[in-house]
Amino acid sequence: MNTDKRKVLNGYHVVFLAQNLIIGTGLLSLPQKISAVGYSQWMLPIVFGIMATITLWPMIWINSKYPQENLFSINEKVLGKWMGKIVNSLFIVYFVFILASLIDNYMLLMQTTALAEHSITLPIVFFLLVLVYIVNGGIKSIARFCIMSFFLTILLLFFLRWSIEKGELSHIFPLFNFNWTELEGAMRKGFMSILGYELIMVYFPYIISQKKAFKHTVIGVWISITIYFITTLVSVMYYSEWQLKHIDYSVLNLLKAGNLSFVERIDVLGVTLWIFLVLSTTAGYLWASKKSLESLLSKSKHYHSYILVAAVFLVMMIPIEREYKEKLFENIFYVSFLMILWPLFLIVVHLIKKKQVR
Amino acid sequence: MTGKYVVSVIVLVAISLAGCSQKEQKVPLEDVGLVGSLSLDYIDEDQMKLTVAIPQYSKEAKKQTQIYSVVTELMSEGMVEIEKNSHKKVILNQLRVVLVDEESARSGQATKVIRSLYRNAEVANKVLVAVVKGNAEEILRAEYPDKPAINFYLSDLLQAKMNTAFNPNTNFHDFMYTQTNPVIDTIMPSIEGKDGLIELNGVALFDEEKMIKILSPQDALIIQALQGRKKIAPLYLSMNHESYGKEILLLDLIHSKVKIKSNKNFESPKVSITLKVSGTLAEYKGARERDLDKKEAIVKLEKDIDAEIKRDIGKFLEKLKELKVDPIGLSENFRMYYNGKWTTEQTKEIISKLEWDVSVEVTIISTGTLK
Repeated sequence: MNTDKRKVLNGYHVVFLAQNLIIGTGLLSLPQKISAVGYSQWMLPIVFGIMATITLWPMIWINSKYPQENLFSINEKVLGKWMGKIVNSLFIVYFVFILASLIDNYMLLMQTTALAEHSITLPIVFFLLVLVYIVNGGIKSIARFCIMSFFLTILLLFFLRWSIEKGELSHIFPLFNFNWTELEGAMRKGFMSILGYELIMVYFPYIISQKKAFKHTVIGVWISITIYFITTLVSVMYYSEWQLKHIDYSVLNLLKAGNLSFVERIDVLGVTLWIFLVLSTTAGYLWASKKSLESLLSKSKHYHSYILVAAVFLVMMIPIEREYKEKLFENIFYVSFLMILWPLFLIVVHLIKKKQVR
Repeated sequence: MTGKYVVSVIVLVAISLAGCSQKEQKVPLEDVGLVGSLSLDYIDEDQMKLTVAIPQYSKEAKKQTQIYSVVTELMSEGMVEIEKNSHKKVILNQLRVVLVDEESARSGQATKVIRSLYRNAEVANKVLVAVVKGNAEEILRAEYPDKPAINFYLSDLLQAKMNTAFNPNTNFHDFMYTQTNPVIDTIMPSIEGKDGLIELNGVALFDEEKMIKILSPQDALIIQALQGRKKIAPLYLSMNHESYGKEILLLDLIHSKVKIKSNKNFESPKVSITLKVSGTLAEYKGARERDLDKKEAIVKLEKDIDAEIKRDIGKFLEKLKELKVDPIGLSENFRMYYNGKWTTEQTKEIISKLEWDVSVEVTIISTGTLK
């Protein structure tokens, strides 16, 4: 029964892992990122959802061929030991950069809204420590954390009430008011914000009922898509097209639209609650990179996560100009498209190999 | 065991490293001057007079509010100047009201300043704006012996209340929204200082960045009713009926509902507006006073009020057509059916060619408890 010890994720764990790994800081700037299509942007989350569902399928397929293996050991099996190790080390670099970019993004936001007169080095250190704590608990603790952060942050949707009251639903018309170049630009920038579900390739072997994994992940993805859809729809109702394009983190301003007599700045409440969402997303990525490092070194140690976190911290502290840094972090997301398409490549190699064996 | 060891080392290092960071100059709360209201007066194209009101918490001071004025070219430069004069660090985090004088509104200077304030992260989006007839600085400096401190007085006054609901209660978000949305033009309340009090007496209408006209409260009420606000201010009507002569009445509006439909034709635009209001007849003065306990008389009165409101709306739309502005957002009903980018020019064109078909339905729910 040694193999079954690893299987820890129930159906609802899978649902919330998929759901919460998607929502990081992406949601906060989503309306701005897809503003190229103007008021028609409320349709894009649905398109993203469909794309995610389609690309999810090959991931599950390749994993179900190797039910006991995660992405990294599949890499080694399919591509051969050395090729696999090289690819895995590239994955580690990618994960470290994506972690740095996610945390940097959030901390910058924290600085502009909540901690305007403080330096953020110390908050980053504390954030990373909490992160390591969650990750060392294993994938089940991450899943539980995801469930908790979902229920803590879903309440923020309530604060959209005032913007809905004030908004004009007629903004959603006319439907499909964009051309192809606008759509292409919006898709390219916006699709990054739904990344996260691809980590199913890493935690797949831990799922108890692997046959239902596809269904559960799809449910999780669509919960997130619904949240994205509501947010973009309300943004479209509340803002003018110019505002959609020019306001940074417009979702925070949506929270501010209301009047509560006992809180002045609901956006700060929002930003600070958002740390749960960022923690759950980054925990997922850190755990994945830890797994990758384990497969590279062929052993499992707790201090691996400290090494990785130190690497993340170093990347964030690289003394280069903000401009280059931002460009670097932006481009790292394009690599994510490769990761989405990676299982297709694996499938092709897998099938060729199978034929050769025959 | 190693995990705990590593964590404690990291924590220790982090704590001791924090000592190496430069000491941050944090200002304690009692040394901060929180600007509550800010006013703007036009001097010439480049220069303006900036006045801020900061609440005074010291008990020894004779006045509740400290006022600073500077002449400046840039908003932020002015704030630095003011800080030099003040014994506190002046910040805008608690800004509630921005007043601009008529001239700076007409010249477009006010729009630029509000834009730059909107960009400022420390300023909230719910800051209320108003146009002042006359000098804006005077409003802040004047004495209001029986009123609370000016900061509270102003922000309470400009907050939408039922009785003054004609007041469009424009905040930074509304201002920027209407400025940047091509289908709608900006409006904001206009106030005037009378001795010892501030009066809300109209609505300033903007054409793009510049103010063009101050509308009467009656017109502002029409704007709000047509924008689809469900609760609006009491309606005061003075009618001149053929057979009954002069009649004055006040209708406490309880509910209003509007439906606007366009004919989707961009060459000869036409909208049909259906306005349904219901309310209580609060007061009536005129020849029909005795008959109003009868159902038929009420129905007849409703019809007359319908016609009167319809005429008012017609007159108002005529005015908009002449000015080529759209504070209601009527052109949104055309933009909805237009594929491509909508521009302000198109709004102007639609408004200047607009035809309308108004129907009003007033229901008087009750006339009070006396028979």
